[in-house]
Amino acid sequence: MKFSTLLSKTIWKVSDNMKTMINRIKNSEFLTFNEVLRLKVAIVTIFLFVFVVLSIPLSSFNSFTRDIEILIPIAFALLLVFTMLLTVVNLNRWAMHFSIYTIIGLTLFYVGGSNHFYGYMLFFVSLTVIIFYQDIITYLLYGGGITIYGIYYITQNGESILGKNATGIETSSLTYQVILLGFYLIFLVQFIISDNIYEKMNNEWIRMNKVLEKYQSFSLQYLKEHLEDNEVEPLYKDTKFQQLVSELSVFINEFFEEEGNNIAEVVEFYFFLHDQEVDKIIGDKELPLLTRRYAIELQKYLINSRSELVSILFDFTTLFKGDQKFQENRYEYSLEKLFNNKTDKLLALSILYKYLKTEVTQYDRWGKVTRVLNHEEITEMFVSKEFREFISFEQVNFYLDNQELFRNYL
Amino acid sequence: MRQNTNKHQYSQLEKYKESLELAHLKSKTLMVNSLVLLLAGVVLYFLIKLDVGTTVILSTMTMFFILLIINFAFYAYDEDHYNSLKIAMYINTLGIYSITIVLILEFQTPSIFTALFLAYALTSVYQDLKAMLISNFALFITGSILLIKYPDIFRLINDEAPQTLYILVYLIVFVLLLSLSSYILIKRKTFFYNQLAQVKESEVRNMELLLEIEKINKNKDLDSEVYYSSLVKFSDELSKKIGISNIFDRKINILRDVNLMSMQDVLDKYPDYNRKEILDLLNMELEVTNKIRRVGIKSSQSYGVEVTRKEIFSESQFKSFNHQGDNNYVMIIAFVTFYCLLKIDKPYLNELDEAQIKDILYNSEYFHRIDRDIINIYLENNEVFDTIVKDHLEGK
Repeated sequence: MKFSTLLSKTIWKVSDNMKTMINRIKNSEFLTFNEVLRLKVAIVTIFLFVFVVLSIPLSSFNSFTRDIEILIPIAFALLLVFTMLLTVVNLNRWAMHFSIYTIIGLTLFYVGGSNHFYGYMLFFVSLTVIIFYQDIITYLLYGGGITIYGIYYITQNGESILGKNATGIETSSLTYQVILLGFYLIFLVQFIISDNIYEKMNNEWIRMNKVLEKYQSFSLQYLKEHLEDNEVEPLYKDTKFQQLVSELSVFINEFFEEEGNNIAEVVEFYFFLHDQEVDKIIGDKELPLLTRRYAIELQKYLINSRSELVSILFDFTTLFKGDQKFQENRYEYSLEKLFNNKTDKLLALSILYKYLKTEVTQYDRWGKVTRVLNHEEITEMFVSKEFREFISFEQVNFYLDNQELFRNYL
Repeated sequence: MRQNTNKHQYSQLEKYKESLELAHLKSKTLMVNSLVLLLAGVVLYFLIKLDVGTTVILSTMTMFFILLIINFAFYAYDEDHYNSLKIAMYINTLGIYSITIVLILEFQTPSIFTALFLAYALTSVYQDLKAMLISNFALFITGSILLIKYPDIFRLINDEAPQTLYILVYLIVFVLLLSLSSYILIKRKTFFYNQLAQVKESEVRNMELLLEIEKINKNKDLDSEVYYSSLVKFSDELSKKIGISNIFDRKINILRDVNLMSMQDVLDKYPDYNRKEILDLLNMELEVTNKIRRVGIKSSQSYGVEVTRKEIFSESQFKSFNHQGDNNYVMIIAFVTFYCLLKIDKPYLNELDEAQIKDILYNSEYFHRIDRDIINIYLENNEVFDTIVKDHLEGK
């Protein structure tokens, strides 16, 4: 009875863990890189476990001594346990390396002790495990090592895996080698392409996020000025709002802790931070560590600065704004591409110049958005390399040739 | 209720993602076809070396040739390029496997069997979910059938028993691992496309929001007449300097008129301009479309923004209420403050009703920006949340 209960509990726990793992795979795009790596190590560990189990009956086919036949599966099992321990302490990168060492060890064991075709297949499986981690350096090092060893193995032992229908050892070995090398090289090409594409996309994404933050800082500054001009108290000073945040926080916290009220103090500290120079609090070593830690974490969510919370709120707001139909040039900002004829391009350049010289787009020394760009600043921008995103080289030349007209009449 | 996190995404995303994917699909198609061409060369070398006869050489090379011609045709077909290249990709995936199977059946050796892995590697360059499914299915089914129906392929010269079970297990492991690897990679790639498309649209909308808030703050809009009158003077002087008649004048008048008249009236007034030309001109108009204002805002703000190598692939860039390592209290307070801000009137956004908030938080990517336990507590108790808010803000 006790055993059956234990067994059903174990099965339930394993199935629950599997369900969690499948869910994590399904939502892997929302995981951080570290979390994805941890997930990958867990998956590889399951596969390696299968290989270690398979290596036990396999011992009867190979030519090792009895001691080695017993010791090797135990050694691999220990290596797996060590890999799992590393993931528990969040050393996922180390765990990845150890899981690769395990599969390399298994490959050497399989191909070293027997002369079967399935042993040779493990070269591909090892490369697959390394590919799975999607790390170009790891692939170059370990994958390259495995491929070189595979080619060497075929040179030395090609005869042992020569097919019965093969026409000769030379062609058979060459086929094995070319395919293994081809497999490695194609995935290497794939890695290089992927890395290149993602690096470019990521670069653009980060750059655009920084620009977005600037728009949002401007929006927030305008809102602050609007409140000041209308003598309205900022929301973070509103006691009703503070109480509301506090009560809802306590309500949620009651699901986590029996004494849900503990969070109220942190809410108070959160609103207190709004009127403080947070960096000073963070840097004040006389304050308790916990206070400084809360200050660091809460800084991201202040509502009177361009924080993450404010950015998310503005982004959320945009769901309700500007829902126009997609047009090919919707995200195009280059005057060269937006306009077809030369006159239009020059006219657009003149309007852009006038816009930059007339509209406030810069902070003044008091942090208010009141300053416009002057002619010299616009010229500096126009001739800069990064401004080719907006105007072409020909347009810059036209501008430089006629800049006095731009200065005097626009 | 079934969750659909795409329900509340920007409606323009799909179109832009497609154009983004098309650019990469083009380069991948070229890459795969170059590799296929290289493979054809290697196969030709082996066929000549093995002296298999002209018929086999010609038939095998014809298969490669047909595959390349089909790809070339789809690549050259400009109408609906995206779908054409997708079809070419599926045909290529199946074609590469077909050629591999023919070669395996022709030579029936374990060494040529491993060409199936090479076929898999070639097709994986596409990094496409459907191509991956076809490839995995083809590899597994082909491998299994060959193992079961043609065990002699795996028979070695020194060993009579081919250990079919082990080969099958390895094949399963190989397919499963690569499937999972491709699945995770493709999901993350799609996520990247999505993020990039989202940030592009978000930029347009944030600029629109900025203009709206600026208008609220200044209580006035941009005066386009100031622009057009300076442009007239500027274009006069420019024309004099270059020594030509003023070619800008008429266009400036059109820009003035599109503010005041309907499109049809503008077309009637300027019969030498067609609708497309007027629409093109609208891109520099200052009050109706905002396009040139957006160019102005973006160019003034993006100047000097730099990205260092350290920032690449940094997950801390994702804005959320769910940062790894943050205290639970902090995650609760962040979410609650955000929720409360949605429940009150703001100059740029009116308060949202409870059903709307719940629907968006559940059916959008915001669901993933909030700690899973916290969002579940909210979704299960949102009516309590609503009551607490009403109790506190009543009469506000």
